[in-house]
Amino acid sequence: MRHRKSKGVEMKEQGVVIVGGGLASQRCAETLRRRGYDGRIRLVCGEPERPYDRPPLSKDHLAGELSDDDVAFRPAGWYEDNDVELILGRQAARLDAKRRRVELDDGSELFYDDLVIATGAGARRLPPLEGYTNVHYLRTLADARRLREELREGARLAVVGAGFIGQEVASTARAAGAEVTIVEALPAPLTGVLGKEVGLWLMKMHDEEGVEVRLGTKLDGARGNGAVEELALSKGDPLACDAVVVGIGVAPAAGWLKGSGLETDGVLTDHAGRTSLPGVWAAGDVARSFDHRHGEHRRTEHWDAAARQGMAVARAIAGEEPDPHPLPSFWSDQYGLRIQYVGHAEGADEVTVEGRPSERDFAVVYTQEEQPVGALVVGRPKDFARLRKEIEHTYTQRTNGKEHK
Amino acid sequence: MSYIPTIDRSACSAHGDCVDIAPEVFELGDTAEVIGSGPDKKILKAAKACPASAIEVVDSETGEVVYP
Repeated sequence: MRHRKSKGVEMKEQGVVIVGGGLASQRCAETLRRRGYDGRIRLVCGEPERPYDRPPLSKDHLAGELSDDDVAFRPAGWYEDNDVELILGRQAARLDAKRRRVELDDGSELFYDDLVIATGAGARRLPPLEGYTNVHYLRTLADARRLREELREGARLAVVGAGFIGQEVASTARAAGAEVTIVEALPAPLTGVLGKEVGLWLMKMHDEEGVEVRLGTKLDGARGNGAVEELALSKGDPLACDAVVVGIGVAPAAGWLKGSGLETDGVLTDHAGRTSLPGVWAAGDVARSFDHRHGEHRRTEHWDAAARQGMAVARAIAGEEPDPHPLPSFWSDQYGLRIQYVGHAEGADEVTVEGRPSERDFAVVYTQEEQPVGALVVGRPKDFARLRKEIEHTYTQRTNGKEHK
Repeated sequence: MSYIPTIDRSACSAHGDCVDIAPEVFELGDTAEVIGSGPDKKILKAAKACPASAIEVVDSETGEVVYP
């Protein structure tokens, strides 16, 4: 055990406590060790599993092609080899920043020198579907294992919400031979960020793959004894189903921070993950990190952001100044097709399409004042690499422009 | 064995797919890094798997960009 002297009293060093068992936490622990940090590291996972990667949960893992071990970030022995203490199946219940102490849900307490809040986000729930046995949300490995059982040949699956999670589940379920219906409240999904054309194109792809798509349709309620047998919808016939998957977004898992002095709707941080409390950092879905390109704090639910933020916190704890965040970016795999996104489409004033959408081979370029600010690319990795550079150039120019004024 | 991969470090988020596919060629640090050479087929597969399209592959015999 490492010790340090403080006012002549020998004090035990508490090291870094990382709360949350996802990507940001794993990256943070790994980067700390890679930077030579030799203090104590404790990693608290809310689930009874060591940290694992979530993207396969709606794809290869859900399809049964990857095992639980395959999606774990590291073999079980890695944690012992790297002197990272795993505390599994425990959730943080309270933060007492004055005493640098986190209380867990079993009443135990952990003291820290540095605390990394990386508790992620939880699936938003639909109250009319509470209590039914065949309603699924997809966030954890346990959720995925449960949902996998439902994806049988001929099973009727209702997907509520046409975001990327719902779409990937639909794709995986089709491959397993299930009959799938997507129900989406908006006239086209994802319009806020990607625009109506892209949302409709995605729905057309699902339609071509044999998915029934019901847009502009709200869920009114459910009927069934124990399990949902039928969904009542705002439009059209009730939807008979064997199982329901709900993918209507996530909310930051920050309720436990109530009374701590930190924000419970996404913890505000600077670019390195520093919060307003000394020795307290935040990374990943739970954080609202400062975005230097727009001069405001933003929460980003992307895999990339969690990875980079977890690493940035570790670098800052190790005494380095982390790089500014790269452009937001995500990808989705559906029906054997790769969809890639980069930049800030939400700020576009014009959208142009290059290529052939009908052949699933195209790039959508989002421009603002005639400069590219975002791109969505389907089946064109070459364009993706090029557009990312062009978008980076747009923002570099703008940032430099500001500095010269 | 004529394919040479390079990694755009600003684009790489260390997903690790390339390391899973060709551990003799790639290694993970803050980003993926090229540490060796390997069969062309494997290098191409690794580049195609990258969710960030951060791997460029050049054929060292012809100088041609094979991917992306």
